[in-house]
Amino acid sequence: MRLKAAAVILLASALGLTGCKLVKTADKDREAEAGAFDPDKLVAEMWDGKVIPYLEQRAAPLRDVLAATAADPDAAGQKHGYKAKQGNAPWTFIAKVDGTIVAEETASRAAYVDVDVDGDAKADVRVAIGPAIRGTALRDSLDFVDFNAFKNQIEWAQFGKSFNTHVNATLLETLPRENLTGKRLTATGAYPLPAKGQLPQMVPAAVTVGD
Amino acid sequence: MNITRRLITVGFAAVLAAGVAMPAFAADLIAIITPSHDNPFFKAEAVGAEAKAKELGYETLVLVHDDDANKQSQLIDTAIGRGAKAIILDNAGADASVAAVQKAKDAGIPSFLIDREINASGVAVSQIVSNNYQGAQLGAEEFVKLMGEKGNYVELVGKESDTNAGIRSKGYHDVIDEYPDLKMVAQQSANWSQTEAYSKMETILQANPDIQGVIAGNDTMAMGAIAALQAAGKGDVIVVGFDGSNDVRDSIKSGGIKATVLQPAYAQAQMAVEQAHDYIANGKTPAEEKQLMDCVLINADNADKLETFALAD
Repeated sequence: MRLKAAAVILLASALGLTGCKLVKTADKDREAEAGAFDPDKLVAEMWDGKVIPYLEQRAAPLRDVLAATAADPDAAGQKHGYKAKQGNAPWTFIAKVDGTIVAEETASRAAYVDVDVDGDAKADVRVAIGPAIRGTALRDSLDFVDFNAFKNQIEWAQFGKSFNTHVNATLLETLPRENLTGKRLTATGAYPLPAKGQLPQMVPAAVTVGD
Repeated sequence: MNITRRLITVGFAAVLAAGVAMPAFAADLIAIITPSHDNPFFKAEAVGAEAKAKELGYETLVLVHDDDANKQSQLIDTAIGRGAKAIILDNAGADASVAAVQKAKDAGIPSFLIDREINASGVAVSQIVSNNYQGAQLGAEEFVKLMGEKGNYVELVGKESDTNAGIRSKGYHDVIDEYPDLKMVAQQSANWSQTEAYSKMETILQANPDIQGVIAGNDTMAMGAIAALQAAGKGDVIVVGFDGSNDVRDSIKSGGIKATVLQPAYAQAQMAVEQAHDYIANGKTPAEEKQLMDCVLINADNADKLETFALAD
């Protein structure tokens, strides 16, 4: 009788463990079915259904995020951003920009515009407009993706880059490139906690440039 | 019935042994195993881990595997034989090290990996991974900027058997290859070595006198390259390294090498020991096994804050 009880407990815990692993195996099987690791596809599949809704839901006006960050970066990060539970990554913030372009750099392949959101004619944020985009801010802003689910740092990095590739192909390639200064820009995007005295460097997930 | 009871008792004993916190007393030993201390980066890891372990009241056993997986396996045996309570390891190969770490686990000794990851999870308690790819991207972005997005350049790659040599090279090209006006005229391995980088650079310069930049997979190779360039009267060629050593810091400050990327060697080794202590003393495992440690760009703006692989605030 005792033996049976012990066996049941063992079985239950074995099942519990197997249950955990099954999820991973299923993921891996799906990955195997789809062939080799394909980060572009992973990003494309989660973009409309998960990434955009998440960012739209979490993004606050940039002025509010900057003010909160100046007061208390950690509290601001909890409210307006995300960072991995462990390791030493900085907070990545999520914000909405609505302002006027006050400077543009389009000669570089890592092109950007500087945007004023509070009407003082001074830049408050630097928005990347590609085709080369620095960093992995979009990936790092998402609370539903995790390095531990990837095989190694190479795949994790490629996954991060695929967000930039996706934004570039679907959004930035069609943006106007000339005489941007003075035009209105709206964007929703992410940026890592900037170094002291530097502008936030935002990678947009949505962007419009008007008159 | 008797047998059943005994089985259950044994089972309970095992559960108790695994679950109950064991106090750390002075005699507890932590083994610290890294590649050769000839490279100051690995020395900083060992020194950082040892200092933290002593601070927490442990004895330490500091060993080097020289990037030899067989030697690493023997050192793990030594750690097991000496009854180490935990192993801090900068491993000798992502695939080759899995069995060695598993062997320690089977002997009841938890491993806490630093710097390099292994291609398996659930074997080590934690893997505090230097984000070499992110660091390489940072270094490459600075290199691209310094080059004005154009020109001929040389890449010096690290030791082929070291995973990080490939990761850094991939990270560099991930960024640089987006700039079609940057042309790589030579790519050679100098095996992390300063003297080899010097002689390779000399040879490359003979075939390609018209180069504007050199991007190196680590700082010792960057030091070799800048020396060869200066000897050839080409000290204005842009050189970027990787690691954040004091040698390169001094070169940056005197206008030689332009930038490098700091891996927080000292801090991550200390973090690993703290996690080992938490595991030994309280049975606590970190929330995530794999923990990424981002790298920081070092250039003329912040070089004077760098000391022994740590950046002052």
